[in-house]
Amino acid sequence: MKRTTGAIAMAGITALLLTACGGDTESEDPTSPAADEADAPEGDDEGATSDAGDAADETAAGGEGDAAGETAGAPAASDGTSLVIWADDLRAAAIEPLTETFTADTGVEVKVQVVAQEKLREQFKDAVGQGAGPDITIGAHDWLGELVQNNVVAPVQIAPDVAEQFVPESIEAVTFEGQLYAVPYSVESLALIRNTDLAPEVPASMEELVENGQAMVEAGDTELILAQELGKEGNAYSMYPYVSAYGGGIFPLLEEGGFDGSKAILDSPETLQGAEKLAWLGEVGALSTNQDASNVIPNFIDGKAAYMVSGPWAIDQITEGGINYAIDPIPDFADGGETAPFLGVQTFYVSAESLNPQIAQTFVQEYVPTEEIQVGMFEADRRPPALTAAAEQVQSQDEDVEAWSAAAEGGTPMPNIPQMNAVWGPLGKATADIVGGADPAERMATAQTEVASALGGR
Amino acid sequence: MSQAPVGQPVATPPWVLAVKWLLIALTLAACTYLAWLAVEGGSWLIVTVVAFLAMSVLVVYSTRRGITMKYLLPGLILLALFQVWPIAYTVATAFTNYGDGHSLSKEEAIEAIQAQSVRPAPDSARYGMSVAIPEGEEIATAELSFLLTRPAQEGATGEHVVDGQELFVGTLEGLEPLPVEGVTLRGNGTIGAAPGYRVLTLVEANERAQDVSAFAVPVDGDLGIKAATGTQAFVGRATTTYNPDADTMTTLEGTVYVARDGNFVPQDGQGPALPTGWTENVGLDNFSSIFTDSTLRNGFVKIFVWNLVFPLLSVGSTFLLGMLLALLFNDPRLRGKGIYRSLLILPYALPIFVTAIVWAAMFNQDFGMINEVTGLNIDWLGDPWAARAAVLITNLWLGFPYMFLICTGALQSIPTDVREAASVDGAGPFRTLWSVVMPLLLVAVGPLLVASFAFNFNNFGLIYLLTGGGPFDATNSQVGNTDLLITFAYRLALESGTPNIGLASAVSIIIFLLVGALSYVGFRQSKALEEVN
Repeated sequence: MKRTTGAIAMAGITALLLTACGGDTESEDPTSPAADEADAPEGDDEGATSDAGDAADETAAGGEGDAAGETAGAPAASDGTSLVIWADDLRAAAIEPLTETFTADTGVEVKVQVVAQEKLREQFKDAVGQGAGPDITIGAHDWLGELVQNNVVAPVQIAPDVAEQFVPESIEAVTFEGQLYAVPYSVESLALIRNTDLAPEVPASMEELVENGQAMVEAGDTELILAQELGKEGNAYSMYPYVSAYGGGIFPLLEEGGFDGSKAILDSPETLQGAEKLAWLGEVGALSTNQDASNVIPNFIDGKAAYMVSGPWAIDQITEGGINYAIDPIPDFADGGETAPFLGVQTFYVSAESLNPQIAQTFVQEYVPTEEIQVGMFEADRRPPALTAAAEQVQSQDEDVEAWSAAAEGGTPMPNIPQMNAVWGPLGKATADIVGGADPAERMATAQTEVASALGGR
Repeated sequence: MSQAPVGQPVATPPWVLAVKWLLIALTLAACTYLAWLAVEGGSWLIVTVVAFLAMSVLVVYSTRRGITMKYLLPGLILLALFQVWPIAYTVATAFTNYGDGHSLSKEEAIEAIQAQSVRPAPDSARYGMSVAIPEGEEIATAELSFLLTRPAQEGATGEHVVDGQELFVGTLEGLEPLPVEGVTLRGNGTIGAAPGYRVLTLVEANERAQDVSAFAVPVDGDLGIKAATGTQAFVGRATTTYNPDADTMTTLEGTVYVARDGNFVPQDGQGPALPTGWTENVGLDNFSSIFTDSTLRNGFVKIFVWNLVFPLLSVGSTFLLGMLLALLFNDPRLRGKGIYRSLLILPYALPIFVTAIVWAAMFNQDFGMINEVTGLNIDWLGDPWAARAAVLITNLWLGFPYMFLICTGALQSIPTDVREAASVDGAGPFRTLWSVVMPLLLVAVGPLLVASFAFNFNNFGLIYLLTGGGPFDATNSQVGNTDLLITFAYRLALESGTPNIGLASAVSIIIFLLVGALSYVGFRQSKALEEVN
């Protein structure tokens, strides 16, 4: 036994010596223990940010999300010969046939890899951090700050005349600290979806909506004034149109576009005015923390509510439920408060570690801004295209698109700065409490303190 | 099948030897392959470990020595890989600031910041670009040049202009006009062929992709013409540059950023840090912040108390219900026990990921079944005490079948003569239960109760899916009223404003120590139970 232990020790020393010699010839440093092997057990991206944009999305996409079972192992990575694109199942299916033109023009083979939607952001980040990962990933614009922080995405030096062909907000959404990092293909936002059998008229204001809703509830036609996601933990994305109605919001806007992430304005007089409206909507029962992702769309489809505030992801279920619907912008408040929603932009990101940087850039800069791809992607997820020409082409075929575009008007892209991650939680919980009856001014002040200390502690 | 005489070495049949050497060879081949992959990835630590493994396998199994080691080695290797390594890794991470914005090494961060700062010069021209090499040379080694075109400006001379495009050749020396003779243009306005050059296709140029990325044709000042795509180039410059002597970053506007706490922060303290930071050692900062940061400390104490109460009440309530049902269904006079028992085990058989979500929906104040059926109007998931009750109720439903199962098993193993002896001695049913059955039962299930405690101590799935740790107090959105330490650590690591894996590692080490200590005490106690025998 003792001799065996000795032999193993010898073996170990020999191994160490051998690798040490090998190590010298290669000048590369062994990476630090923390950066090395960084596949830390990071779960899915139920993060605060995705609560905002994609939580509803995920429920809407429903069971399909799991269809990516084939990607149980590590998905294919950029290998220096072909172009590898990662996308969720819905978008992977859409982009695959759209790459044929590119392959025919350039002779570059394109591999599209399905990654489960709730894991895409985390896997993209981790894989690129390991020096692997795809050349291109299709994802939401509000990931951007985090991706830049960890050097996951490469800048996209798109030609100015091409950038001008996009809806301006979509370009703003993919700009971080003055640099462009992705090419957008769709713009989505919340809107008022109305059951036209129950409520044939467009309400002129939130007050009128509440009045009509209350009348319907009293008459026994419906059970809810309005269906809108909030939940016990609140939802800053869903409540933003009300909170920002009087010019307030989360971060002050910068003159050159984007947000100033260094200070939050959750307790500014303008934001508080919006929060008062939130409290009022809670008081009259239009909003409730008992309405969450699990019941908002089902309630609307069951006819329990004539009005619902939701996004394009709800439409498939509504159509399946056989509801006659119409889409309109969220009504403004009667005293002039303008309810502008957050915009979510879907984009093509280029990996910072791509082994085919020019090929990837050629695809996103020269092929993604074409009507072929923009319209093709629309067919898959029904979000209005970000390329103006494509949006116009689609509008002539699908009247919903025009309505979605109208609803998005005046909206600001969700902040893509990493500081936003410190806001989703506290602001979300504040909206839940205010709707539940907490004093708006006090509660927003508490949220402001918490956000400020999180930002200061960076 | 021959019986070997005791004490004499057995002659190993040749085929066994052959299989043995084949297996050894296979293991070595697999190790070589792994090592080769690791060498390609540049991880010398992994190469060392793999080489060590290969040598150990060879030494232990190829020789006749060390019989014990032959049995122990596989277990030891697995122990090291799946137990020791993750723990060591977590401990190492707990002393760093690893997390979002601090995931790179400093060198990588410096490079990334400079690469991200490359901006096109305002109002500069955009060029059509073809990557070219001198004719007749190898792609892998040849000197690159960019053949560039741009719409002709006024004053451009005719010999460099074709089809309205002005032609240039860009090298590392600078930008030169290109004579039009022999030049053909492609449909997109880029040069398709030029005398003396071999124009590379997108795929050919990709062999030199990193060189193309780094290539910049110098034009006035620090501006350079760089590839934007495979066919387009732009004029730009890095707007932030690193000064290695002072370890600072300087922007074009002259703002100086100094390295501090894993980020480049403005020297004058005004404005935000540069977004990309790096991982560095922070010593005991993560541990001290758990105990000094008031939010974390208060949260930690509050969560810890609930983290003790929750598993205690859970184990107590599930055990009580499970045991009572087991006693009931153990009665020989009851008919159809098989069916009842199967039905009772159902909650245990359903995956928690389904049941917890269903229970969350049932607890909904307005739309949930529980308020509807009972006629109550309790805000189950919004009120701290109601939420705690909801968690315990759900866990009772989820957990009693397990207790029922193990109690049934233990009860059936208690010999009937013990009970008979008790009744002969004149003990009533309760006296028998309390003084005879219970002690014997606890001997059997005691360790399982401790295990159940440890499991519920870390019952992440239930809390995460049912309440998400909430409801939260107004002043603190990090610490929920039903949070366990493990859900708290998860939120810190992945869901908080600044996902901080280093801090979360520190929290999990503390959880590890706590669970270890509690389990130790628990097992000591359950050992005391065994002394009944």
